[in-house]
Amino acid sequence: MFDKDKIGHSFPAFSLTIERTKIHELALAIGDENPIYHDLAAARSAGYTDLPLPPTTPTIFTFWGNTQIWEQLTSVGINVMRVLHGEEEYEYVAPIAANDTLTGITTIVDGKSRRGKDGSSMDILTTETRYTNQHDQHVLSARTMFIVREAAAQGV
Amino acid sequence: MTTHANIPAGRYFEDVEVGEEIPQLVKSPVKHQQLVRYAGASGDFNPLHTDPKVGEAIGTGGIIAHGMLIMGFVGQMLSDYVGPASLRKFGVRFKGMTHLDDVITCTGTITEKYETDGQGYIAGKVQAKDQNGDLKVAGTFTAMLPYRNV
Repeated sequence: MFDKDKIGHSFPAFSLTIERTKIHELALAIGDENPIYHDLAAARSAGYTDLPLPPTTPTIFTFWGNTQIWEQLTSVGINVMRVLHGEEEYEYVAPIAANDTLTGITTIVDGKSRRGKDGSSMDILTTETRYTNQHDQHVLSARTMFIVREAAAQGV
Repeated sequence: MTTHANIPAGRYFEDVEVGEEIPQLVKSPVKHQQLVRYAGASGDFNPLHTDPKVGEAIGTGGIIAHGMLIMGFVGQMLSDYVGPASLRKFGVRFKGMTHLDDVITCTGTITEKYETDGQGYIAGKVQAKDQNGDLKVAGTFTAMLPYRNV
């Protein structure tokens, strides 16, 4: 059962600098060959100041920026072996490009327990990570909804 | 506040109509090497995406793709359509597991067009399905587009 007292809890801030190579690597993994993600000259001639970010780049911020994410979720009583990724949402507040340094603070913004017809229970948990850049400007908010099942299901 | 007024975009506000279909994106079959690559790129090293033994043991019928990779495919479609810097919001729900050799097709439709504070916005719904028509992700997006004539 999710402890509702954890709503509002924030984890320690983390920061990372966005490297061009990581943008190139993510676009390669997705199979996106658009030259703006791979070649600085192509990005600049398309009007970007540096390599722009593929829309799902914030997943790098989560995992590479905060390598303690699973330990942190465990520390508030979440069984990370039973986590399903339910939803992911980004709000792009201001431009971000390669070489920007971001600082993120993740907060548990919602959580509840539900009981299914078969009597099993699941917790539904939402975190929001607010990112600011090197100029203390809010640039991105990322919301993640996790489903934590009591039965033997595992993550997407 | 930094504005988005001068950012590159793939479309002009005047050129988009409600009901318009976003050009679909058909991806190559999902391969094991792609999932290993995606694990390294994203930093999500959960072995159920990369280790076939784990995939068998937990009853998912082998390894399954990262949900975020499939969202990444939908992001590629949106990037091709409006450019990455035009996006204001992009969110999805994960609806089903993707297995090796699945062929993912991303589609979308424009549902709304509006102007706020002198800026033009479009909103739409997006989804990704496999070769059998099974839904993998469904979501929405909002983008701010420049005007052709300012």
